[in-house]
Amino acid sequence: MLATRRHIALAAAALGLAVAAGAGSDAAAQSKPPVRIGAILPLSGAGTFEGQLGLEGMQASAAIINAKGGILGGRKIEIVAYDDKSSPEEGVSAARRAIEQDKVDVIAANMFSPIALAMKEVTRDKIIHMVLAPQHPKVTEEGHKWLFRINETTIMRGTNFSKFICSKMNLKSVAILAINDDYGRADSGNFEKWFKECGMNFKATEFFQKTDTDFNVQLTKLRGMQPDGIYVAASATSQGATIYKQLRQLGYKGTIIASGGNMNPKLVELSGNAIEGVFSVSPYVEDVANPVAEAWRAEYKKMFKNETSFVASLGAAGIEILAAAMDKAGTSNGYDKIADTIRSGKWATTLGEIGFDKIGQGFIASYIVQVKNGKIVTHAKAN
Amino acid sequence: MFLEIFLQQVANGLVNGMGYVLVAVGLTLVFGVLRIVNFAHGEFYMLGAYVLFFVITLAGIPYVPAVLLTTAIVAGVGVAASELLFKPLRREHEFTILMVSLGLSLMLANGGELLFGADPKSIPSPYADMTVELGPVFLTWQRIIVIVAAGALIGLVYLFIRFTRMGKMMQATAQNREGAALTGINIDWVHTYTFALACGLAAVSGALLGPTATILPTVGEWAVLKAFIVVVMGGLGSMGGAVVGGLLLGVAEALGANYISIAFKDAIGYAIIVAVLLWRPAGLFAGKR
Repeated sequence: MLATRRHIALAAAALGLAVAAGAGSDAAAQSKPPVRIGAILPLSGAGTFEGQLGLEGMQASAAIINAKGGILGGRKIEIVAYDDKSSPEEGVSAARRAIEQDKVDVIAANMFSPIALAMKEVTRDKIIHMVLAPQHPKVTEEGHKWLFRINETTIMRGTNFSKFICSKMNLKSVAILAINDDYGRADSGNFEKWFKECGMNFKATEFFQKTDTDFNVQLTKLRGMQPDGIYVAASATSQGATIYKQLRQLGYKGTIIASGGNMNPKLVELSGNAIEGVFSVSPYVEDVANPVAEAWRAEYKKMFKNETSFVASLGAAGIEILAAAMDKAGTSNGYDKIADTIRSGKWATTLGEIGFDKIGQGFIASYIVQVKNGKIVTHAKAN
Repeated sequence: MFLEIFLQQVANGLVNGMGYVLVAVGLTLVFGVLRIVNFAHGEFYMLGAYVLFFVITLAGIPYVPAVLLTTAIVAGVGVAASELLFKPLRREHEFTILMVSLGLSLMLANGGELLFGADPKSIPSPYADMTVELGPVFLTWQRIIVIVAAGALIGLVYLFIRFTRMGKMMQATAQNREGAALTGINIDWVHTYTFALACGLAAVSGALLGPTATILPTVGEWAVLKAFIVVVMGGLGSMGGAVVGGLLLGVAEALGANYISIAFKDAIGYAIIVAVLLWRPAGLFAGKR
């Protein structure tokens, strides 16, 4: 069995190589060379959908910038996509290919923490690495001088969200269901601590694997503990939707809370009635005015059939910040200069205004949201 | 509460187990009759779920007839794979055939991603959200249908193999292909029928279990892995072994996850394999072939 899996991995790696080689060779002969941004995302495996959304967000944003004439005196932005196959090993090798063979100018990457944590060691002191979605604190805490992250960490987001849950949601007992990876373990660990600190009866944390498609076993166990609320940390939309549905199918009547950043229209569509009333916290809401976001939404809807989402907006913000900073710094590969520029500025993006601290951690606004009548509605500002 | 959870987990295990059984029976048939280890078998499970999704959403056909139509379509794909790949390669080394099935599996999985899209889909079945309380056990109608339909199907397949002419021809081919050919059995036909039956069963499994969760083009990988565990457990080529093995695996996973640790849910299958191979290397139901 093991041998076969290795065969599959080998064959898949060969395939990926071929794809990347194809993608790398179409640098068109234009008058001015394009600025090439390596987009390393899960385009196969468990995170395919998130990866696709992130890439679409980037492409829509690049299209807007290119339509305005590009950056650095007329250079167009070219997004070079790589597949990390939802796995750290593949992510690392994709980053190597991007840097060494394809010589991209900068990298904007990552949907999941385990991959970002591995990949940052390849990009360390080699290239600008804009991390998009991962929430593990160590991505920036143990990052490098050219690494930035847009999304909030589990701790930044959780501190505010847990306060809301503790003070406003009126729950006496709570249990956690989380994905068994760096992100899920970090997030569930923090929330367990916060829930206990605010005096809730904490029942248990249970984990599921990133390959699971059925959650009845875990959910039965959790339901048996009869918590008032269940906090679900599921970063893949497909798994989240199944969890909310099966939780209701098993007759669970308590409150369901979705971990921060994991609420999107597709999840609501897939989960149907099961997600009604579920709370979450999200930096991407459509009912707050933002001209950059409106232009991006229009372009996105023209180019793609998916609905806009937080994950896609992260991709957009990554491109917007990188493009604006490279333009301002006057270089596409003077990394010290670009990094200083990013750190010293405030950037107008699809996610609102974003600033960065010394270690490259971004600061974005976020909002408590709730699903009402099949729509994600902003409840309050969370930070 | 203890009993309630126990019963619910057994029910969960039986539903999952029935899904494993349907996939594993096809896998074991193809191996038993044709000596082909088909790694692409799980992709027919995936096709079952996706074809059903499109038959329902695009053609607007209600769930039950849609399942029948889906099964026929996917069985057709299975026959095509048999005619185009496995039949011409019949005389090649087993390893060649194995590699071809691996290639087919990758093609179907990646092709599915291209064709169907990478976004997760939810199969609209009217039974998926209808919850029934059987005492302390909560089941949706969809899950009850899985158990009943799968049970009935397995029974039918058993009767087919045992009593029909084609079934007997399949048995004869399983025992000795040359001998069967000498008595005038058309091995080509046996090939085609076996593939149609096996792939049809995998498709039914996908079509029945699909609406209980969301579907992705990668679900086939999971399906074939579980089916291999079941087949090794029950004994390669043994249908009874696949049935008992599948249900056993489903229930063992559910109970093990509940009472030992959820983190080990997937490891339980492998642990059982190790135990079975040490204790009865040919599988629990070996020797029937």
